[in-house]
Amino acid sequence: MLQPELVEAVLRRALQGGADFAEVYAERSKRRRMTVRSGKLEEAISGLDYGAGIRLFFGTEVVYAYTNDLTQEGLLEALETLLRAKGALGQVDARGAGGLDFRKTLPQGLHTPKVPLSEKDKRFRLERLLEAEAGARISPEIKQVEASLQEWEQEVLIANTEGTWAEEKRVRTRLFVLAVAQEGAEVQTGVAAPGKSVGLELFQLYPPGEVGAKAARQALTNLRAKPAPAGTLPVVVGNGFGGVIFHEALGHLLETTSVAKKASVLADRLGEEVASPAVTYIDDGTLPHAWGSTEVDDEGRPTERTVLIERGILKSYMVDRLGHLLTGYPMTGSGRRQDYTFAPTSRMRNTFIAPGDREVEDLIAGVEFGLYAKEMGGGQVKPGSGEYNFAVQEGYIIRHGRLEEPVRGAMLVGKGPETIRKVVAVAKDWENAPGMCGSLSGMVPVEVGQPHVLVSEIVVGGRA
Amino acid sequence: MTLEEAKGYLLRRARELGLQAEVLFQEERELSLRARQGVLEEIKEARQGGIGLRVVAGGKVGYAYTEELSEAALEWALAEARDNALLSGKGGFLPEGRPLGSHDLLGEGLSAPLEAKKEAALALERTLREDPRTRSVLMGGYQEREVRVALASTQGAEGAFRTGLAGMGGSLVMGEGASLKQGWDFRLAKEFHALDPGRTALEIRERTARLLNARPLPTGRYRAYLEPKAMAGLLAVFAQALSGKNALEGKSRLLGRIGEQVASPLVTLVDDPTLERGLLSRPFDAEGTPARRTVVIEKGVFKTFLHNAETARALGQENTGHAHRRYRGTLDVAPSNLYLEPVGNLALTKGVLITEFMGLHAGANSVSLDFSLQALGLWVEEGAARYAVENFAVSGNLLELLQAVEALGDRLEWEVLGAAFGSPVVAVAELSFAGT
Repeated sequence: MLQPELVEAVLRRALQGGADFAEVYAERSKRRRMTVRSGKLEEAISGLDYGAGIRLFFGTEVVYAYTNDLTQEGLLEALETLLRAKGALGQVDARGAGGLDFRKTLPQGLHTPKVPLSEKDKRFRLERLLEAEAGARISPEIKQVEASLQEWEQEVLIANTEGTWAEEKRVRTRLFVLAVAQEGAEVQTGVAAPGKSVGLELFQLYPPGEVGAKAARQALTNLRAKPAPAGTLPVVVGNGFGGVIFHEALGHLLETTSVAKKASVLADRLGEEVASPAVTYIDDGTLPHAWGSTEVDDEGRPTERTVLIERGILKSYMVDRLGHLLTGYPMTGSGRRQDYTFAPTSRMRNTFIAPGDREVEDLIAGVEFGLYAKEMGGGQVKPGSGEYNFAVQEGYIIRHGRLEEPVRGAMLVGKGPETIRKVVAVAKDWENAPGMCGSLSGMVPVEVGQPHVLVSEIVVGGRA
Repeated sequence: MTLEEAKGYLLRRARELGLQAEVLFQEERELSLRARQGVLEEIKEARQGGIGLRVVAGGKVGYAYTEELSEAALEWALAEARDNALLSGKGGFLPEGRPLGSHDLLGEGLSAPLEAKKEAALALERTLREDPRTRSVLMGGYQEREVRVALASTQGAEGAFRTGLAGMGGSLVMGEGASLKQGWDFRLAKEFHALDPGRTALEIRERTARLLNARPLPTGRYRAYLEPKAMAGLLAVFAQALSGKNALEGKSRLLGRIGEQVASPLVTLVDDPTLERGLLSRPFDAEGTPARRTVVIEKGVFKTFLHNAETARALGQENTGHAHRRYRGTLDVAPSNLYLEPVGNLALTKGVLITEFMGLHAGANSVSLDFSLQALGLWVEEGAARYAVENFAVSGNLLELLQAVEALGDRLEWEVLGAAFGSPVVAVAELSFAGT
């Protein structure tokens, strides 16, 4: 994308301007999205994102610029603007006078697609989307189905004044089906949205018709569901996307972005018991073809498998370069950003609760009256207080140890550090699921995951 | 190529290829200054721009965009847009265009010197720290954004405008004993000089500190007083139901209800892109339809969906000029400055004052309009807020909530959540609260 000489010129100028560290992140991304509704292609868009971000450190003070002009003049102009904003112009530093010796990291192809995006035409994709839609038409109450395919081919180059030169091509695809069920004035929705760091083999991994049927079944379940009860209840949280609760309630509290500022209730707690002994919590950026995996992070470091909590004991935070400078914790390859318009911060990759030794049936059998949160929607957290909330997309009442009627509109609320202590049992059936996570450095693809877990009590927001 | 050159190139090539084409280009400048512990920990200064293309081929619509302005990239975008159109199963058209002029809605609003902006960011962060209850300040800062939008089509549309916003705000954790609360707020204006860092910081402190030492809220049904920030979040969800596009796609519960009483007679909801100093005012929409004020709900009666040319034609209704598109996206419908008209009959008696909803993207369903949301708030009794309450969720349906509105305050406050949403404090007869 960029020649080493050009990158070197920019980095050297940054050092001369007084920066302690400088980094160039360049990106060229091809994106496509196709949406099918009512048996035909409704909308299709293709796009090319093209830009670069330049980040400079002056101690722990950061300046960041981005531009779409990737010529030498364009990059140097962005840099000069930054130096001016910093008030560093005119300082001429002897550093950077010598050459930079880039150590190039070649991609190993850990997540390379088996069926490249270029192998099939648009009609092939359209046919798969039509299959997804057809798969969702399982009942006359399904009034509307929307199926879309998102594909994203991102080429990145990250180089810095420490000699890092990393290039990676990241390919991701995701199928999204929304089913709307209606009976009288009642309207409910169901969603299924598998995604991986793969090419068009996504359709083999997740046959489109089955994805459609899953969304439709959820919409129909919600249609006949009663409003969820309100109050404090034991909750069995489903596997896969159920992991979003601890993504919100725990994961975000372990990012140095908030830990370094003492803005997380879990700051300065390494080595302490912060969770129930049933909980081992891992953030793994290396899982092959996982939605949140990359070979290098957006600071050019190889990604890692980071054990965050082991049997309840806090072992590590997720640490980016700035977090490392501020806290001294070793970097964990966790620097991520949405695209070139964001400076990276510490972020989750694929974060999950490790499997335990219980059977799912045992978890449910132990509950007298509670909620089974089978499928979760999204949520939110305030790391400073640990307060979180997230929506139950598909839920059922547990009565006398048995699953009974479906309920809808349940919202789980609480404080993360309290909830994680109330995880009393963890099943064996670990699974991950994809999502998009929004934070300071934008929206990034992540996986969340867990086996089924039993939480002894959570406030369930429903109808009082 | 420059954006101007690229625009000319694309329109010329589209004509050569026998395509109708519309070119939307956007150029943005962003400055952000983030202070912490008395220093500017992050300075961001950036430019971004790109070209969005909508073409009609064979009577159908296709889209593409590019930020790379080489000839090869532009040709790629044209070919992709045409392929996308030819594969599409949905008819579409470009509206007849007209000269739209060149407008400046920003003027000198952001022209203050950088040093003054830096000082403001530092002052705000300093004031956030000057409270014994402040445990940590995550950030305090200043941000501005300047946007230039231009639209041109083979059908004769040609226009441009410049606009922008300045904002100040911050985030902090406050504590008293074991009680902790995280607060976040941002004030926006069309001019740097309209912002007041000291006052904004005091407001953020006050709004966060009042939530400390919260007590649990017993589960039950209570009258709710929604502060503007909380109500704005609900309006952002409700706006989805007002979209002509969602109506057309069977995703609005308001379909077929024009002329019906859908809200309390106290509710009048207006979208006005022509508001003087409106945060997101614009002279024309993304298809070049000139902006005008639209009354969406008048005294509780649903008057119209928000439309672009396509949704208006498909539903046989008048185009309200609410086409929305960013160069990276497809044609949609969105409000500009959407607000509930103040009434001035509000008096606090007894109930829960809701200061903020959390997790709106997850807890509110824009199709069914059901919501179940974590909220922060204060218990109100005998006409005043008595103490904070926490760990509860509020649920209901937005249409039922609008029916149950019994009073509105007299002063609008605005939040930008994609579009600008304005509301006074709104009193709702009864909502369901799940606590302990």
